[in-house]
Amino acid sequence: MRYTRPWQRYFKLGMTALPSARGLLPLIVLLGAWQLLQTGNSPYFPPPSDWWNGLMLLSRSGRLYPALMATTITLLLGLILAVAVGTGVGLFIGVFPRLGRAIGPLLEFLRAIPPPAIVPVAILFMGYDERMKLTVVVLAAIWPILLNTSSAAERVHPLLLDVARSFRLSAVERMRLIILPSVVPAILLGIRVALPIAIVVTLLVEILTSIEGIGALMIGAQRNFQSPQVYGLLVLIGLFGLFVNNIFAVFEAILLRRWPPKTQSENF
Amino acid sequence: MNMNKGGLIARINWPGAAVLVFVGLAWEAAVRSGLLEYEYLPAPSAIALGLSELAGEGILAPDITHTLISVVIGWTAATVLGISLGFLLGLSATARRYSLASIEVLRPMPGVAFAPVGLLLFGFSLKTEMVVTILPVLWPVLVNTMAGVIGVHQRLYDVGRTFRLGRRDTILRIILPAAMPLIIVGARIGLGLALILAVVAEMVGNPEGLGYGIVREQQALRPDLMFAYIVTVGFIGIVLNAGMLALAEALFPSFRQLQGGR
Repeated sequence: MRYTRPWQRYFKLGMTALPSARGLLPLIVLLGAWQLLQTGNSPYFPPPSDWWNGLMLLSRSGRLYPALMATTITLLLGLILAVAVGTGVGLFIGVFPRLGRAIGPLLEFLRAIPPPAIVPVAILFMGYDERMKLTVVVLAAIWPILLNTSSAAERVHPLLLDVARSFRLSAVERMRLIILPSVVPAILLGIRVALPIAIVVTLLVEILTSIEGIGALMIGAQRNFQSPQVYGLLVLIGLFGLFVNNIFAVFEAILLRRWPPKTQSENF
Repeated sequence: MNMNKGGLIARINWPGAAVLVFVGLAWEAAVRSGLLEYEYLPAPSAIALGLSELAGEGILAPDITHTLISVVIGWTAATVLGISLGFLLGLSATARRYSLASIEVLRPMPGVAFAPVGLLLFGFSLKTEMVVTILPVLWPVLVNTMAGVIGVHQRLYDVGRTFRLGRRDTILRIILPAAMPLIIVGARIGLGLALILAVVAEMVGNPEGLGYGIVREQQALRPDLMFAYIVTVGFIGIVLNAGMLALAEALFPSFRQLQGGR
């Protein structure tokens, strides 16, 4: 610990990763027009105010909060496991290029399987339970992280590896001081790609199996023709995705503050 | 993939191929010898037999056709829309200022979440598939097109002015070619997404095509047929991706060099 920086600075740094709020106007106008122009009680296009009532109804029945928690926990645990395993295996493969070349085609083959297709397989093998849900999320989210890590570890600048040799660093020191810092941006990029995949797969499992979660709640509402609840949950999921993505963008910006800036920013 | 033909044998990844074959054989052996005691794990040979069974019964071809058609419709609609909107947002800073945050709000919406909405509106139909497919595919195309248009170098605009090009010519001859590599990247990401989303939509929204096949065989406890469907989807993904790259290279010979620079 050298010295601690004020947290406000981190906050400011994180906020620059987010887009300006002025651009929300079209969305607000659209929802406003929907609210004002709706004819009354259309079963298919309920006004946004009804969406809110639908959500409140769900919340009062005590089903919303546990479902939200279940989805969040699955997503979080799944991502943590995927990052741990993906980074570990990716580094291992990247450090031994021969190994990488040998199992590369196998990994590419496994990656070609679309993540959602894992869901029925997992149902068949593991039955309908939380463990299966978690496994599917890990299996879907691990590939971008693993492949990004391994290719970045392979492409660590030769000059840096020479530095490691000049200083006679041990294998552990070389990993900690040279390789790991060079691959952190790639790992974060992998997580960024894995994030939406993990969300989609979590929801898909819940929709297909009705295991507790937001997806299950949503498909249940659709089966009962509770259209306001369906739209309300859709907005909730959108906000959830936005929240998770932005939290990660802030986290990434803070974590990468000492790395050289990206050549191309994702937010314009 | 297709550089000089001379080094073809040298360029084949022999250890990689060997590992792939070895894993396949080990899997086969483990299942046959009863080493892997999973009731639902078919051997690779059983999956191959399942594939030929599906093909022989004549259900594989219509399923593939259905999925491909929905991929093509969804992807085309999303690409056309994405490129147009991307150009609009790329060219006008005002449009960008007043819509970017909305896009950032809508972009992380997971495609599956639209399945219940689609079902609500259209029931089990191709339209539901489109509801699920189009929006998520739109974003990579739109964002990449916008980035490509914004990234056109100022000097190229100067060239346009020197040649006294009109607005239409500037867009068609200067901006479009300059933005093309990024647009193609977006379209390629979109194509992969479109396949995945079509399969997802068929799993939950429209009981037809390859996605439904996977779920159907899972419920019928026929893992060999289920894996056969999954392999088919993976294979189609690889073919679509390779086809897209080949098309890009055929249309824009400089594409590979531009890609190589990244």
